[in-house]
Amino acid sequence: MALLEVRDLKTHFRTDDGIVKAVDGVSFSVEKGKTLGIVGESGSGKSVTCLSIMGLNPKRNTISSGEAIFNGKNLLTMGSNELREIRGNDLAMIFQDPMTSLNPVHRIGHQLVEAVQLHRDVSKKQARARALDLLKAVGIPRAERRIDDYPHQFSGGMRQRVMIAMALVNDPDLLIADEPTTALDVTTQAQILKLMTTLQHEVDSAIIMITHDLGVIAEIADDVVVMYAARVAEQGPVDALFKHPQHPYTWGLLGSLPRLDADVERLVQIQGQPPSLLNPPRGCRFHPRCPYVMNICTTEEPRLMPAGDHRDHLQACHLDQATKDREAAKLLAGTMAEAS
Amino acid sequence: MAVSPTEAPVESPGVDQNGLLVVENLKKYFPITRGIIFQREIAAVKAVDGVSFSVRQGETLGVVGESGCGKSTMARCIMRLLDPTAGRITFDGRDITNLSRAEMRPFRRELMMIFQDPYASLNPRKRVGFIVSEALEVHNMGTEAENKRRVQELLDVVGLNPEHYNRFPHEFSGGQRQRIGIARALAVNPKLIVCDEPVSALDVSVQAQILNLLKDLQSTFGLTYVFIAHDLNVVRHISDRVMVMYLGHGVEIAPKSKLYTAPKHPYTGALLSAVPVPDPDARGKKKVVLEGDVPNPINPPSACWFHPRCPRFQEGHCDVETPPLYSFSEGQFAACHYPLEGWPLTEDEMRRPSSGPVS
Repeated sequence: MALLEVRDLKTHFRTDDGIVKAVDGVSFSVEKGKTLGIVGESGSGKSVTCLSIMGLNPKRNTISSGEAIFNGKNLLTMGSNELREIRGNDLAMIFQDPMTSLNPVHRIGHQLVEAVQLHRDVSKKQARARALDLLKAVGIPRAERRIDDYPHQFSGGMRQRVMIAMALVNDPDLLIADEPTTALDVTTQAQILKLMTTLQHEVDSAIIMITHDLGVIAEIADDVVVMYAARVAEQGPVDALFKHPQHPYTWGLLGSLPRLDADVERLVQIQGQPPSLLNPPRGCRFHPRCPYVMNICTTEEPRLMPAGDHRDHLQACHLDQATKDREAAKLLAGTMAEAS
Repeated sequence: MAVSPTEAPVESPGVDQNGLLVVENLKKYFPITRGIIFQREIAAVKAVDGVSFSVRQGETLGVVGESGCGKSTMARCIMRLLDPTAGRITFDGRDITNLSRAEMRPFRRELMMIFQDPYASLNPRKRVGFIVSEALEVHNMGTEAENKRRVQELLDVVGLNPEHYNRFPHEFSGGQRQRIGIARALAVNPKLIVCDEPVSALDVSVQAQILNLLKDLQSTFGLTYVFIAHDLNVVRHISDRVMVMYLGHGVEIAPKSKLYTAPKHPYTGALLSAVPVPDPDARGKKKVVLEGDVPNPINPPSACWFHPRCPRFQEGHCDVETPPLYSFSEGQFAACHYPLEGWPLTEDEMRRPSSGPVS
C-alpha cells in the first residue's frame, strides 16, 4: 500500500470566462521514503495538483473530484478540522517563494514553536528546544541566537532552510516541495537539495518535488510525472524516463535544455505556447505543438498506456513504438555524442 | 573611500585594446550616508570593484555569478545608466566613461540592452508599435511610414506577427514580450547588445526559442553580445568566452571550451559542480557544496574575496595577499593562488592543492 495514492484527480476552477480545468485526471502514487518529481511548464497544473492534495485551494468556485488516499484516508473528502490535524503534522509543504511564505512580523522561533504546539501537547520550552534542534539540523549558523531573529534578517537560502525546518518540525510522512529551489542560486540550490535528501534519509519521509528543472529531477527523484496542460504526458521511474523517453513533449523538454556537458549548435525548440486551459485543444493536448502530429492526434485523446512491456512506465501518445524508440535514441545519441 | 574617476587604469591582463568594448578596472561604489543636512559617507557598497575585460566584434561574452555579485550593476555601468566610480569604458575606440548625456546620445544607437523582466520592462500603456519605434523617433531615423514598416519587419524577424503592431504588452505571454524587448533593442541597428538575464524568467521550452533567436540574429546582423545570466548551462550555450564574477570581481575569464572543461578558480569549480545535470547516472558524483552565503559587499573579506568559503583556503596566504589575475593557457585568466590542477576533481582533491602557490 502506497503512502499516498492519487486517483483521477480533477480540479476545476469556475471563473468569469468559463471553467478552467487546471488539473484534469491525474493519477500517481508515492511510496514511503521515496521521492516523486513532477515536472512541467508554468500553468501545466503541477502546483494546483499539490494544493488540491493539501486541501489549500479556495473552497469557493473550486470543483474537485477523484481520490487522494493518504495513510488509508481520502484527503479530498475530509472535513476541515480533520485535515488541519494532518496538515503540518503528517503532511507538510514547502512553498516556492521563501521571501513571502514566512510571516514578517513574527520571530522565526515563534513561528516554529507555533507549528509544534499546534500538533503536539508539549510545553513552550520543549517546543522551543525542538525548534532549535531543527534549525541546527538545517544548518543555520549560531542557531541559538538566530532563533529570535525576524525573517528579514535572513538571506533567501537561509529563509528556505527555515521553511524546511518548519515543514519537518513534526517529522512528516510526506513532504510536498513546490519549486523549493527555483528562487535560489545554484550553489544555494545544491546546499538545499543535499539537505533535503539527508533529512529524508534520517526521517524516512516521502517527498513530492515540483520543479521545472529536469536537472533537479535527475538528481533527487525516484519516479517522475511529466505534466502537460493539466494532464499526465508521461510517467515512470527516473531511469526509464531519461533513458527511454516516450512522449514528444518529454523529448522537447530534454532537447531544449542547454547542457553543461555538451555543445549543441541549436537547441530543440517546442514551437508555440502552452494552450489555454479554458479551451484546451481537442484530441491530444500537445498536438498543436507536436512535430510528429498525425490525423488521429487531432481527434482522439491518447490514453495513458504502458510503454512497451514496462508496466510502471506510462505514456500518452499515439505514435507507434518503433518510431518512439527510434526518435528517443536519436535525441539521446545527439547529447551523448557531443558529451564524449 | 573616494576614488577619483581620473585614476589611471592599471594595465590589466587579457584585455584586448582593440575590442569593440573595452572595460578596464571598472568600479561602482554605492555610498551609504548618514545625516540629513550634512550627509556623511559612512561606508560604501562595493558592487563592482575592479572588473576588466574586452569584447571583440561579433563575439558573445557570457557573465555568470550568483545574485549580488555585481553583474547587473556592471551592465548598467557599461550602458552608462549608472556612472562608474572609477575605471574606463571604451566603446568602438572612444572613451565613453565621462561623456555627458548629450554626448552619450549618438552612442545609444549602437549600444542597446535587453532586460531581465519581460513584464516590467515594457510600458503597459503603450502599444507595441510605439515601444519598438520609440528609439527610431528619438534618433530621428526615418519618417513615420518608414518606421512603421521597419517595426513590422522587426516583429517578423523576432518571430511575432507584424499585425501585432497595435496591441498592448499585456496581450502577450512572457516569451512573446521578451521578443518585443529584442525587437526594440534591434530597431536602431546596434553594434552591441547587453542582455541582462534575458531568459531567466522564462520556461525551458520558451527559453530555448529565445536562445535560438538570439543566436540567429547574431549571425544575421553580426551582433556583439554581453550576455549576463546566473545559469551556467545557458551561458555555455550562447557564449564564446565567459567571465565568472564573485563579489564585484571577475575571478576567472576564459574561452568557453576552457572554462567548462578545465576551470582554474575554485569558485568556478564549485559553481560547475553545483549545476544539476539532467542525467540520473550522474547522481553518484560527489558535489562540491559551498558552505555559507556570499559575504556582504559593504565589508568584503580581506585579500582573496572568496577565501572564507574556499575549499582550498590556505591560512596566512589567501587572507593576506590579494591574488592577481594569473594567466594560464591561451586566453584563460584566474585570480587564485592555488588554482585547480585538473577537472573534474573529487571533493578531497578540491580541498588539497597538490602544488605550491603559483608565482
